[in-house]
Amino acid sequence: MPAKRVIPCLDVKQGRVVKGVQFKGLRDIGHPVELARRYDAESADELVFLDISASLEQRGTRESWVRDVAHELSIPFTVGGGVSKVEDARSLLRAGADKVAVNSAASLRPALVTELADAFGRQCVVAAVDVKRDPELGWRVYLKGGTEPTARSAKDWLWELNELGAGEILLTSMDRDGTGDGFDLPLLDWASELPIPLIASGGAGREVHFLEALEHGADAVLAATLFHENLLPIPRLKAYLAEHDLSIRI
Amino acid sequence: MSATPTITLIDYDAGNLASLEGALDRLGLVHRRAATPEQAASAGPIILPGVGHFEAAQRSLAERGWWRALPNLVAEGRPLLGICLGLQLLAEGSEEAPRAEGLGLIPGIVRRLGPGVKVPHMGWSQVRQHMAHPALPDPKGAWLYFVHSYALEPSTESVYLADHGRPFAAIEARGMVMGFQPHPEKSGRPGLLLLQSALTWMGARAPVPEETCN
Repeated sequence: MPAKRVIPCLDVKQGRVVKGVQFKGLRDIGHPVELARRYDAESADELVFLDISASLEQRGTRESWVRDVAHELSIPFTVGGGVSKVEDARSLLRAGADKVAVNSAASLRPALVTELADAFGRQCVVAAVDVKRDPELGWRVYLKGGTEPTARSAKDWLWELNELGAGEILLTSMDRDGTGDGFDLPLLDWASELPIPLIASGGAGREVHFLEALEHGADAVLAATLFHENLLPIPRLKAYLAEHDLSIRI
Repeated sequence: MSATPTITLIDYDAGNLASLEGALDRLGLVHRRAATPEQAASAGPIILPGVGHFEAAQRSLAERGWWRALPNLVAEGRPLLGICLGLQLLAEGSEEAPRAEGLGLIPGIVRRLGPGVKVPHMGWSQVRQHMAHPALPDPKGAWLYFVHSYALEPSTESVYLADHGRPFAAIEARGMVMGFQPHPEKSGRPGLLLLQSALTWMGARAPVPEETCN
């Protein structure tokens, strides 16, 4: 089995990496290439860039930083944000991204996932899904960063994404995101039954949280603030996980 | 002009050239893209990258004249490095495209991975030495990055092996023809060093500065 992966997630707006500050605003924390270099050196296994620019014009410079990141980075990276058709994905992959992530557009038009898998192979297609616990559905799928509920049950949607051709699931618990209280482990228990790799996101606060997520079936763990602020250096986290007998690339 | 050999990257819409070019730049190696054999450098190693479907890649190489040219170039002694699907195209054939033939520059058939494991094999896996090679040292369990659903069966001449359900050839070499199943350009520092060792052995080298300052 391949190694369990540790993945920093970077939000990009208008070509700069930004960090949300308590839902109040965004702080600029650097150019994508600078952060890519840093995480490469810190032995991250992969990077995920999510472009949160509001409009197409704001995303205009995207190909250029994606190309720069591809040139500098010696590990794989995924780019998501506003990918709604095959051509969007093609331009990102041409610029050097290894995979593209789709979220809302796939929920609105599920055939997009199949079109991407047919055009580029399913290994290029990451389906990002945001969920919250729900009295009716167990876990419900949300759009727009957890602000817009859908009628979908998370369980049904994940299995559907697998059938549509997703190569990997990036699953974020919106209940846990930003809390630092740990991943939603019951969510990972059933989601890891999917035959495709699962990236767990939302809730990481301490080393043990990552260990728990991986022991509950996640193939990869994703976090942002902890790594950006260097509250938990990646080499320290990976050493900890390796000590606990997980297969980790050191 | 110096006589530094230029690495030729085959450009046929089936490879992530941006990352590979970045890796070569970081190693200080001179390279150029070539869509057709006429655009290839006159000497130096040729790299055949590749992602996607075996038959589509084969067709695309044939349309650009590479499919016929590569065996001749190899016969003339040109070093050739296939990466990922590039390695698989060097073999005799693949289960992915039973009707198509491979280049046959490396013996063996490429077979589907599994059953019993997640396919594609995607992520970091360790490699181990199988046969000694003058350019490639014992990897000592180095982790390399893989993305593939098919793999070349191990042979007595496989240099490195990796496992996904069963052992497969991670690096295969026949004289100046070499194939890497992992992506060295995506495999961190160990990948870069492997790429450097293989290409240097194939005759690539970084340009010597014309003057030095004291």
